[in-house]
Amino acid sequence: MDEAFFIQLALSAAAVGALVAIVAWAKIAKPVRPLDDHKARVLLAEEFPTRSIDAIWTASDGAGALAKSGGMALVLCRVGDGFAARQIPWPQAVSATFRNGRLHVNLDDIAAPAATIRLPSWPPENLTKDLAA
Amino acid sequence: MTEAEFDPVALATPFFILTIILEIVLARLGKARANYEVKDTAISLSMGLGSTLAGLVTAGLAFAATLWVYEHRLFTIPMTAVWAWVAIFLLEDLTYYWFHRLSHERRFWWAAHVNHHSSQHYNLSTALRQTWTGGVAGTWLLWLPLAFLGFPPAMIAIQKGISLVYQYWIHTEAIGRLPRWFEAVFNTPSHHRVHHARNPVYLDRNYAGILIVWDRLFGTFQPELDAEPCRYGIVKNLGTFNILRVAFHEWIAMAADALRHPSHALGYIFGPPGWSHDGSRETSAAIKVRALGAPINTPLIPAHAGTQASSFTPAAESRTDPASLG
Repeated sequence: MDEAFFIQLALSAAAVGALVAIVAWAKIAKPVRPLDDHKARVLLAEEFPTRSIDAIWTASDGAGALAKSGGMALVLCRVGDGFAARQIPWPQAVSATFRNGRLHVNLDDIAAPAATIRLPSWPPENLTKDLAA
Repeated sequence: MTEAEFDPVALATPFFILTIILEIVLARLGKARANYEVKDTAISLSMGLGSTLAGLVTAGLAFAATLWVYEHRLFTIPMTAVWAWVAIFLLEDLTYYWFHRLSHERRFWWAAHVNHHSSQHYNLSTALRQTWTGGVAGTWLLWLPLAFLGFPPAMIAIQKGISLVYQYWIHTEAIGRLPRWFEAVFNTPSHHRVHHARNPVYLDRNYAGILIVWDRLFGTFQPELDAEPCRYGIVKNLGTFNILRVAFHEWIAMAADALRHPSHALGYIFGPPGWSHDGSRETSAAIKVRALGAPINTPLIPAHAGTQASSFTPAAESRTDPASLG
Protein backbone atom coordinates (compact mmCIF):
# COMPACT_ATOMS: atom_id res chain seq x y z
CA MET A 1 0.00 0.00 0.00
CA ASP A 2 1.47 3.30 -1.04
CA GLU A 3 0.87 6.87 0.00
CA ALA A 4 -1.66 7.38 -2.79
CA PHE A 5 -3.83 4.64 -1.32
CA PHE A 6 -4.00 6.33 2.07
CA ILE A 7 -4.70 9.70 0.48
CA GLN A 8 -7.55 8.13 -1.52
CA LEU A 9 -8.85 6.46 1.62
CA ALA A 10 -8.77 9.70 3.60
CA LEU A 11 -10.55 11.57 0.82
CA SER A 12 -13.19 8.85 0.59
CA ALA A 13 -13.78 9.01 4.34
CA ALA A 14 -14.14 12.79 4.10
CA ALA A 15 -16.59 12.35 1.23
CA VAL A 16 -18.66 9.95 3.33
CA GLY A 17 -18.86 12.52 6.10
CA ALA A 18 -19.81 15.28 3.67
CA LEU A 19 -22.53 13.18 2.00
CA VAL A 20 -24.05 12.22 5.35
CA ALA A 21 -24.08 15.90 6.31
CA ILE A 22 -25.86 16.75 3.04
CA VAL A 23 -28.46 14.04 3.73
CA ALA A 24 -29.02 15.50 7.22
CA TRP A 25 -29.53 18.92 5.66
CA ALA A 26 -31.87 17.66 2.94
CA LYS A 27 -34.39 16.00 5.29
CA ILE A 28 -35.65 13.59 2.65
CA ALA A 29 -36.26 10.52 4.78
CA LYS A 30 -39.51 8.64 4.24
CA PRO A 31 -42.39 10.30 6.06
CA VAL A 32 -43.07 8.30 9.19
CA ARG A 33 -46.25 9.05 11.05
CA PRO A 34 -46.68 7.65 14.54
CA LEU A 35 -48.26 4.22 14.59
CA ASP A 36 -51.82 3.77 15.71
CA ASP A 37 -53.48 0.39 16.27
CA HIS A 38 -54.76 0.19 12.71
CA LYS A 39 -51.42 1.02 11.09
CA ALA A 40 -49.62 -1.36 13.44
CA ARG A 41 -52.01 -4.16 12.49
CA VAL A 42 -51.45 -3.45 8.79
CA LEU A 43 -47.68 -3.62 9.19
CA LEU A 44 -47.85 -6.77 11.30
CA ALA A 45 -50.14 -8.38 8.75
CA GLU A 46 -47.53 -7.66 6.07
CA GLU A 47 -44.76 -9.12 8.20
CA PHE A 48 -46.65 -12.12 9.58
CA PRO A 49 -49.37 -12.90 7.05
CA THR A 50 -50.18 -16.30 8.53
CA ARG A 51 -50.75 -15.05 12.07
CA SER A 52 -53.87 -13.51 13.52
CA ILE A 53 -53.73 -10.91 16.26
CA ASP A 54 -55.49 -11.51 19.57
CA ALA A 55 -54.57 -8.18 21.15
CA ILE A 56 -52.27 -5.29 20.37
CA TRP A 57 -50.47 -2.62 22.40
CA THR A 58 -49.20 0.33 20.41
CA ALA A 59 -46.45 2.50 21.86
CA SER A 60 -47.54 5.84 23.23
CA ASP A 61 -45.02 7.59 20.95
CA GLY A 62 -46.14 5.54 17.95
CA ALA A 63 -42.67 4.12 17.44
CA GLY A 64 -43.52 0.48 18.01
CA ALA A 65 -46.12 -2.06 18.93
CA LEU A 66 -46.45 -5.45 20.52
CA ALA A 67 -49.19 -7.94 19.68
CA LYS A 68 -50.27 -11.26 21.09
CA SER A 69 -50.78 -13.95 18.50
CA GLY A 70 -51.52 -17.29 20.09
CA GLY A 71 -48.44 -18.33 21.97
CA MET A 72 -46.27 -15.76 20.26
CA ALA A 73 -45.64 -12.06 20.64
CA LEU A 74 -45.22 -10.02 17.48
CA VAL A 75 -42.94 -7.06 18.00
CA LEU A 76 -42.71 -4.04 15.75
CA CYS A 77 -40.12 -1.34 16.27
CA ARG A 78 -39.07 1.73 14.33
CA VAL A 79 -35.62 1.68 12.77
CA GLY A 80 -34.77 5.02 11.20
CA ASP A 81 -37.68 5.80 8.90
CA GLY A 82 -38.66 2.14 8.58
CA PHE A 83 -39.71 -0.69 10.82
CA ALA A 84 -38.36 -4.09 11.82
CA ALA A 85 -40.51 -6.92 13.10
CA ARG A 86 -39.78 -10.10 14.99
CA GLN A 87 -41.74 -12.77 16.82
CA ILE A 88 -40.79 -14.21 20.18
CA PRO A 89 -42.55 -16.57 22.62
CA TRP A 90 -45.33 -14.76 24.46
CA PRO A 91 -44.00 -15.60 27.94
CA GLN A 92 -40.71 -13.94 26.97
CA ALA A 93 -42.59 -10.78 26.09
CA VAL A 94 -44.61 -10.92 29.32
CA SER A 95 -41.46 -11.20 31.40
CA ALA A 96 -39.67 -8.36 29.55
CA THR A 97 -38.24 -5.56 31.67
CA PHE A 98 -40.62 -2.64 32.18
CA ARG A 99 -39.15 0.49 33.69
CA ASN A 100 -40.04 4.19 33.51
CA GLY A 101 -42.78 3.59 30.98
CA ARG A 102 -40.54 1.67 28.65
CA LEU A 103 -40.75 -2.01 27.81
CA HIS A 104 -37.36 -3.44 26.88
CA VAL A 105 -37.91 -6.60 24.84
CA ASN A 106 -35.03 -8.96 24.14
CA LEU A 107 -35.60 -10.24 20.60
CA ASP A 108 -32.85 -12.89 20.66
CA ASP A 109 -31.70 -11.96 17.19
CA ILE A 110 -28.22 -10.77 16.24
CA ALA A 111 -29.76 -8.60 13.51
CA ALA A 112 -32.39 -7.09 15.81
CA PRO A 113 -31.19 -7.56 19.36
CA ALA A 114 -33.84 -5.61 21.27
CA ALA A 115 -36.83 -3.35 21.01
CA THR A 116 -37.95 -0.58 23.32
CA ILE A 117 -41.67 0.23 23.39
CA ARG A 118 -43.23 3.04 25.41
CA LEU A 119 -46.32 1.72 27.20
CA PRO A 120 -48.36 2.98 30.16
CA SER A 121 -48.05 -0.37 31.95
CA TRP A 122 -46.84 -3.91 31.48
CA PRO A 123 -47.69 -6.79 31.57
CA PRO A 124 -51.38 -6.61 30.75
CA GLU A 125 -53.15 -7.96 33.82
CA ASN A 126 -56.00 -9.93 32.26
CA LEU A 127 -53.83 -11.72 29.75
CA THR A 128 -51.31 -12.58 32.41
CA LYS A 129 -54.01 -14.15 34.53
CA ASP A 130 -55.27 -16.08 31.54
CA LEU A 131 -51.82 -17.46 30.88
CA ALA A 132 -51.31 -18.33 34.49
CA ALA A 133 -54.57 -20.25 34.46
CA MET B 1 -1.37 -8.39 -19.25
CA THR B 2 -1.51 -9.26 -15.57
CA GLU B 3 -2.22 -5.95 -13.89
CA ALA B 4 -5.03 -3.64 -14.99
CA GLU B 5 -3.75 -0.39 -16.50
CA PHE B 6 -6.77 1.44 -15.10
CA ASP B 7 -9.39 0.77 -12.49
CA PRO B 8 -12.91 1.70 -13.66
CA VAL B 9 -14.19 1.85 -10.08
CA ALA B 10 -11.46 4.24 -8.91
CA LEU B 11 -12.04 6.42 -11.96
CA ALA B 12 -15.78 6.46 -11.33
CA THR B 13 -15.57 7.40 -7.64
CA PRO B 14 -15.92 11.18 -8.22
CA PHE B 15 -18.91 10.38 -10.45
CA PHE B 16 -20.44 8.33 -7.61
CA ILE B 17 -20.10 11.24 -5.19
CA LEU B 18 -21.45 13.85 -7.57
CA THR B 19 -24.44 11.79 -8.65
CA ILE B 20 -25.40 11.01 -5.03
CA ILE B 21 -25.33 14.75 -4.31
CA LEU B 22 -27.41 15.33 -7.45
CA GLU B 23 -29.98 12.72 -6.43
CA ILE B 24 -30.25 14.23 -2.93
CA VAL B 25 -30.64 17.77 -4.23
CA LEU B 26 -33.21 16.79 -6.86
CA ALA B 27 -35.19 14.91 -4.22
CA ARG B 28 -34.95 17.90 -1.87
CA LEU B 29 -36.34 20.08 -4.64
CA GLY B 30 -39.11 17.59 -5.37
CA LYS B 31 -37.76 16.95 -8.87
CA ALA B 32 -36.88 13.30 -8.39
CA ARG B 33 -38.08 10.40 -6.33
CA ALA B 34 -35.52 9.49 -3.67
CA ASN B 35 -35.49 9.02 0.07
CA TYR B 36 -32.36 9.20 2.17
CA GLU B 37 -32.23 8.58 5.92
CA VAL B 38 -29.15 9.82 7.76
CA LYS B 39 -28.11 6.66 9.64
CA ASP B 40 -28.99 4.41 6.73
CA THR B 41 -26.87 6.50 4.37
CA ALA B 42 -23.99 6.55 6.84
CA ILE B 43 -24.10 2.77 7.06
CA SER B 44 -24.30 2.30 3.29
CA LEU B 45 -21.37 4.58 2.57
CA SER B 46 -19.30 3.22 5.44
CA MET B 47 -19.92 -0.32 4.22
CA GLY B 48 -18.62 0.79 0.84
CA LEU B 49 -15.51 2.32 2.35
CA GLY B 50 -14.97 -0.72 4.55
CA SER B 51 -15.33 -3.11 1.64
CA THR B 52 -12.37 -1.42 -0.04
CA LEU B 53 -10.26 -2.20 3.00
CA ALA B 54 -11.70 -5.67 3.54
CA GLY B 55 -11.01 -6.52 -0.09
CA LEU B 56 -7.30 -6.05 0.53
CA VAL B 57 -7.30 -9.07 2.85
CA THR B 58 -7.98 -11.53 0.07
CA ALA B 59 -6.93 -9.48 -2.97
CA GLY B 60 -3.44 -10.98 -2.98
CA LEU B 61 -4.73 -14.53 -2.81
CA ALA B 62 -7.32 -13.93 -5.52
CA PHE B 63 -4.74 -12.28 -7.76
CA ALA B 64 -2.17 -15.05 -7.20
CA ALA B 65 -4.77 -17.74 -7.93
CA THR B 66 -5.90 -15.96 -11.09
CA LEU B 67 -2.31 -15.61 -12.24
CA TRP B 68 -1.57 -19.28 -11.56
CA VAL B 69 -4.63 -20.38 -13.49
CA TYR B 70 -3.73 -18.02 -16.34
CA GLU B 71 -0.30 -19.61 -16.56
CA HIS B 72 -2.07 -22.92 -17.22
CA ARG B 73 -4.52 -21.44 -19.74
CA LEU B 74 -6.02 -23.22 -22.72
CA PHE B 75 -5.63 -20.36 -25.19
CA THR B 76 -3.90 -17.02 -25.37
CA ILE B 77 -6.46 -14.30 -25.93
CA PRO B 78 -5.13 -10.90 -27.01
CA MET B 79 -6.23 -7.83 -25.05
CA THR B 80 -6.09 -5.78 -28.23
CA ALA B 81 -8.72 -7.73 -30.20
CA VAL B 82 -12.26 -6.33 -30.35
CA TRP B 83 -13.74 -9.83 -30.44
CA ALA B 84 -11.93 -10.60 -27.19
CA TRP B 85 -13.62 -7.67 -25.44
CA VAL B 86 -17.00 -8.72 -26.80
CA ALA B 87 -16.37 -12.25 -25.59
CA ILE B 88 -15.28 -11.23 -22.11
CA PHE B 89 -18.20 -8.82 -21.84
CA LEU B 90 -20.61 -11.69 -22.40
CA LEU B 91 -18.74 -14.32 -20.39
CA GLU B 92 -18.02 -12.05 -17.44
CA ASP B 93 -21.66 -10.99 -17.34
CA LEU B 94 -22.76 -14.62 -17.44
CA THR B 95 -20.33 -15.38 -14.61
CA TYR B 96 -21.75 -12.47 -12.66
CA TYR B 97 -25.29 -13.78 -13.11
CA TRP B 98 -24.38 -17.14 -11.58
CA PHE B 99 -22.28 -15.59 -8.83
CA HIS B 100 -25.21 -13.36 -7.95
CA ARG B 101 -27.71 -16.19 -8.08
CA LEU B 102 -25.50 -18.32 -5.84
CA SER B 103 -25.18 -15.36 -3.49
CA HIS B 104 -28.95 -15.33 -3.01
CA GLU B 105 -29.83 -18.99 -3.11
CA ARG B 106 -27.18 -20.50 -0.78
CA ARG B 107 -26.85 -19.20 2.73
CA PHE B 108 -23.04 -19.35 2.92
CA TRP B 109 -22.73 -16.81 0.12
CA TRP B 110 -25.90 -14.96 1.14
CA ALA B 111 -24.14 -14.28 4.45
CA ALA B 112 -21.60 -12.24 2.49
CA HIS B 113 -24.10 -10.58 0.17
CA VAL B 114 -27.02 -9.85 2.50
CA ASN B 115 -25.70 -6.50 3.67
CA HIS B 116 -26.04 -5.09 0.15
CA HIS B 117 -29.77 -5.75 0.52
CA SER B 118 -30.27 -4.80 4.15
CA SER B 119 -31.20 -1.17 3.60
CA GLN B 120 -34.89 -0.33 3.53
CA HIS B 121 -33.98 2.34 1.02
CA TYR B 122 -33.17 2.17 -2.65
CA ASN B 123 -30.99 5.02 -3.74
CA LEU B 124 -27.52 5.55 -5.15
CA SER B 125 -25.92 5.16 -1.73
CA THR B 126 -27.40 1.66 -1.56
CA ALA B 127 -25.22 0.72 -4.53
CA LEU B 128 -22.14 1.40 -2.42
CA ARG B 129 -23.38 -0.75 0.47
CA GLN B 130 -20.92 -3.50 -0.35
CA THR B 131 -19.82 -6.67 1.38
CA TRP B 132 -16.87 -6.93 3.73
CA THR B 133 -16.72 -10.70 3.49
CA GLY B 134 -17.10 -11.52 -0.19
CA GLY B 135 -13.41 -12.31 -0.56
CA VAL B 136 -13.46 -14.66 2.42
CA ALA B 137 -16.56 -16.37 0.98
CA GLY B 138 -14.46 -17.16 -2.08
CA THR B 139 -16.85 -15.95 -4.72
CA TRP B 140 -13.84 -14.74 -6.75
CA LEU B 141 -13.23 -18.42 -7.57
CA LEU B 142 -16.09 -18.25 -10.07
CA TRP B 143 -14.07 -15.93 -12.32
CA LEU B 144 -11.06 -18.30 -12.53
CA PRO B 145 -12.45 -20.18 -15.57
CA LEU B 146 -12.10 -16.96 -17.57
CA ALA B 147 -8.38 -16.96 -16.82
CA PHE B 148 -8.23 -20.66 -17.65
CA LEU B 149 -9.78 -19.92 -21.02
CA GLY B 150 -6.98 -17.44 -21.65
CA PHE B 151 -8.37 -14.01 -20.83
CA PRO B 152 -5.56 -11.96 -19.24
CA PRO B 153 -6.13 -11.18 -15.54
CA ALA B 154 -5.99 -7.45 -16.32
CA MET B 155 -8.77 -7.85 -18.86
CA ILE B 156 -10.92 -9.74 -16.34
CA ALA B 157 -10.31 -7.08 -13.68
CA ILE B 158 -11.23 -4.26 -16.05
CA GLN B 159 -14.43 -5.97 -17.18
CA LYS B 160 -15.42 -6.69 -13.56
CA GLY B 161 -14.89 -3.00 -12.82
CA ILE B 162 -16.98 -1.95 -15.80
CA SER B 163 -19.79 -4.23 -14.61
CA LEU B 164 -19.64 -2.78 -11.10
CA VAL B 165 -19.74 0.77 -12.40
CA TYR B 166 -22.67 -0.08 -14.69
CA GLN B 167 -24.60 -1.49 -11.76
CA TYR B 168 -24.16 1.68 -9.76
CA TRP B 169 -26.54 3.92 -11.69
CA ILE B 170 -29.43 1.43 -11.62
CA HIS B 171 -29.79 1.80 -7.83
CA THR B 172 -32.31 4.60 -8.01
CA GLU B 173 -36.02 5.33 -7.88
CA ALA B 174 -35.44 8.59 -9.73
CA ILE B 175 -35.55 6.85 -13.10
CA GLY B 176 -38.82 5.18 -14.04
CA ARG B 177 -38.84 2.85 -17.00
CA LEU B 178 -36.55 3.23 -19.98
CA PRO B 179 -37.37 2.58 -23.67
CA ARG B 180 -38.75 -0.87 -24.29
CA TRP B 181 -35.76 -2.11 -26.32
CA PHE B 182 -33.40 -1.08 -23.51
CA GLU B 183 -35.50 -2.76 -20.81
CA ALA B 184 -35.56 -5.91 -22.94
CA VAL B 185 -31.80 -6.24 -23.17
CA PHE B 186 -30.18 -4.40 -20.29
CA ASN B 187 -30.49 -4.38 -16.53
CA THR B 188 -32.26 -1.15 -15.60
CA PRO B 189 -33.39 0.73 -12.49
CA SER B 190 -36.82 -0.88 -12.87
CA HIS B 191 -35.43 -4.42 -13.10
CA HIS B 192 -33.07 -3.88 -10.22
CA ARG B 193 -35.72 -2.32 -7.98
CA VAL B 194 -37.46 -5.67 -8.28
CA HIS B 195 -34.26 -7.40 -7.25
CA HIS B 196 -33.99 -5.29 -4.08
CA ALA B 197 -37.64 -5.66 -3.11
CA ARG B 198 -38.91 -7.95 -0.35
CA ASN B 199 -42.43 -8.43 -1.72
CA PRO B 200 -42.93 -12.19 -2.16
CA VAL B 201 -43.43 -11.87 -5.91
CA TYR B 202 -40.08 -10.14 -6.27
CA LEU B 203 -37.93 -12.41 -4.10
CA ASP B 204 -34.93 -14.05 -5.81
CA ARG B 205 -35.48 -12.40 -9.16
CA ASN B 206 -33.42 -10.35 -11.64
CA TYR B 207 -29.87 -11.42 -10.83
CA ALA B 208 -28.41 -9.74 -13.90
CA GLY B 209 -25.33 -7.56 -13.89
CA ILE B 210 -25.49 -5.70 -17.20
CA LEU B 211 -27.64 -7.88 -19.48
CA ILE B 212 -31.11 -8.81 -18.22
CA VAL B 213 -31.25 -11.46 -20.95
CA TRP B 214 -29.65 -13.98 -18.57
CA ASP B 215 -32.68 -13.78 -16.28
CA ARG B 216 -35.02 -14.18 -19.21
CA LEU B 217 -32.95 -17.14 -20.39
CA PHE B 218 -32.71 -18.92 -17.02
CA GLY B 219 -36.27 -18.23 -15.82
CA THR B 220 -35.57 -15.71 -13.05
CA PHE B 221 -36.93 -12.58 -14.70
CA GLN B 222 -39.70 -10.60 -13.06
CA PRO B 223 -40.87 -7.22 -14.38
CA GLU B 224 -41.75 -4.44 -11.97
CA LEU B 225 -45.51 -4.36 -11.46
CA ASP B 226 -47.33 -1.06 -11.11
CA ALA B 227 -49.84 -2.76 -8.83
CA GLU B 228 -47.09 -4.05 -6.53
CA PRO B 229 -44.88 -1.17 -5.35
CA CYS B 230 -41.47 -2.35 -4.22
CA ARG B 231 -40.88 -2.62 -0.49
CA TYR B 232 -37.12 -2.67 0.00
CA GLY B 233 -34.95 -4.59 2.41
CA ILE B 234 -34.72 -8.20 3.45
CA VAL B 235 -37.38 -10.65 4.60
CA LYS B 236 -36.47 -9.93 8.23
CA ASN B 237 -35.29 -6.34 8.24
CA LEU B 238 -32.46 -5.24 10.47
CA GLY B 239 -33.41 -3.74 13.80
CA THR B 240 -30.12 -1.95 14.31
CA PHE B 241 -27.69 0.51 12.72
CA ASN B 242 -24.67 -1.12 14.40
CA ILE B 243 -22.29 -1.51 11.46
CA LEU B 244 -20.66 -4.66 12.84
CA ARG B 245 -24.05 -6.33 13.12
CA VAL B 246 -24.89 -5.14 9.60
CA ALA B 247 -21.67 -6.64 8.24
CA PHE B 248 -21.60 -9.94 10.12
CA HIS B 249 -25.10 -10.77 11.37
CA GLU B 250 -25.85 -13.54 8.91
CA TRP B 251 -22.47 -15.21 9.44
CA ILE B 252 -23.08 -15.23 13.19
CA ALA B 253 -26.65 -16.48 12.84
CA MET B 254 -25.52 -19.20 10.45
CA ALA B 255 -22.74 -20.34 12.77
CA ALA B 256 -25.15 -20.37 15.71
CA ASP B 257 -27.63 -22.51 13.78
CA ALA B 258 -24.91 -24.95 12.71
CA LEU B 259 -23.57 -25.26 16.26
CA ARG B 260 -27.06 -25.66 17.72
CA HIS B 261 -27.95 -28.39 15.23
CA PRO B 262 -24.65 -30.04 14.24
CA SER B 263 -26.31 -32.95 12.46
CA HIS B 264 -28.02 -30.45 10.16
CA ALA B 265 -25.06 -28.10 9.85
CA LEU B 266 -24.65 -28.60 6.10
CA GLY B 267 -28.27 -27.64 5.53
CA TYR B 268 -27.90 -24.50 7.61
CA ILE B 269 -24.69 -23.51 5.82
CA PHE B 270 -25.30 -24.52 2.24
CA GLY B 271 -29.09 -24.69 2.11
CA PRO B 272 -31.12 -21.74 0.89
CA PRO B 273 -31.54 -18.80 3.27
CA GLY B 274 -34.50 -19.53 5.54
CA TRP B 275 -33.95 -23.28 5.45
CA SER B 276 -34.46 -25.12 8.75
CA HIS B 277 -34.31 -28.81 9.60
CA ASP B 278 -37.79 -28.76 11.15
CA GLY B 279 -39.48 -26.50 8.61
CA SER B 280 -40.05 -23.81 11.23
CA ARG B 281 -38.70 -21.09 8.93
CA GLU B 282 -39.47 -20.09 5.39
CA THR B 283 -37.23 -19.97 2.34
CA SER B 284 -37.96 -17.52 -0.46
CA ALA B 285 -39.48 -20.36 -2.44
CA ALA B 286 -41.83 -21.23 0.43
CA ILE B 287 -42.80 -17.59 0.89
CA LYS B 288 -43.63 -17.28 -2.80
CA VAL B 289 -45.74 -20.42 -2.81
CA ARG B 290 -47.61 -19.34 0.32
CA ALA B 291 -48.16 -15.78 -0.81
CA LEU B 292 -48.82 -16.32 -4.47
CA GLY B 293 -50.01 -19.89 -4.65
CA ALA B 294 -47.89 -20.23 -7.75
CA PRO B 295 -44.90 -22.35 -8.72
CA ILE B 296 -41.78 -20.46 -7.82
CA ASN B 297 -40.50 -20.04 -11.37
CA THR B 298 -43.64 -18.42 -12.69
CA PRO B 299 -43.08 -14.71 -13.32
CA LEU B 300 -46.10 -12.50 -12.85
CA ILE B 301 -46.51 -10.27 -15.87
CA PRO B 302 -49.33 -7.78 -16.18
CA ALA B 303 -51.07 -7.37 -19.51
CA HIS B 304 -49.49 -3.98 -20.05
CA ALA B 305 -45.98 -4.90 -18.90
CA GLY B 306 -43.33 -3.43 -21.10
CA THR B 307 -45.78 -1.89 -23.50
CA GLN B 308 -45.38 1.65 -22.36
CA ALA B 309 -42.83 3.85 -20.81
CA SER B 310 -43.79 5.25 -17.48
CA SER B 311 -42.20 7.40 -14.90
CA PHE B 312 -42.71 8.17 -11.29
CA THR B 313 -44.35 11.35 -10.24
CA PRO B 314 -42.12 13.87 -8.55
CA ALA B 315 -41.85 12.91 -4.96
CA ALA B 316 -43.26 15.97 -3.30
CA GLU B 317 -45.46 13.69 -1.26
CA SER B 318 -42.52 11.64 -0.11
CA ARG B 319 -40.61 14.53 1.34
CA THR B 320 -40.20 14.39 5.03
CA ASP B 321 -42.59 16.48 7.00
CA PRO B 322 -40.58 17.42 10.09
CA ALA B 323 -43.78 17.81 12.05
CA SER B 324 -44.60 14.17 11.49
CA LEU B 325 -41.37 12.83 12.90
CA GLY B 326 -41.45 11.34 16.34
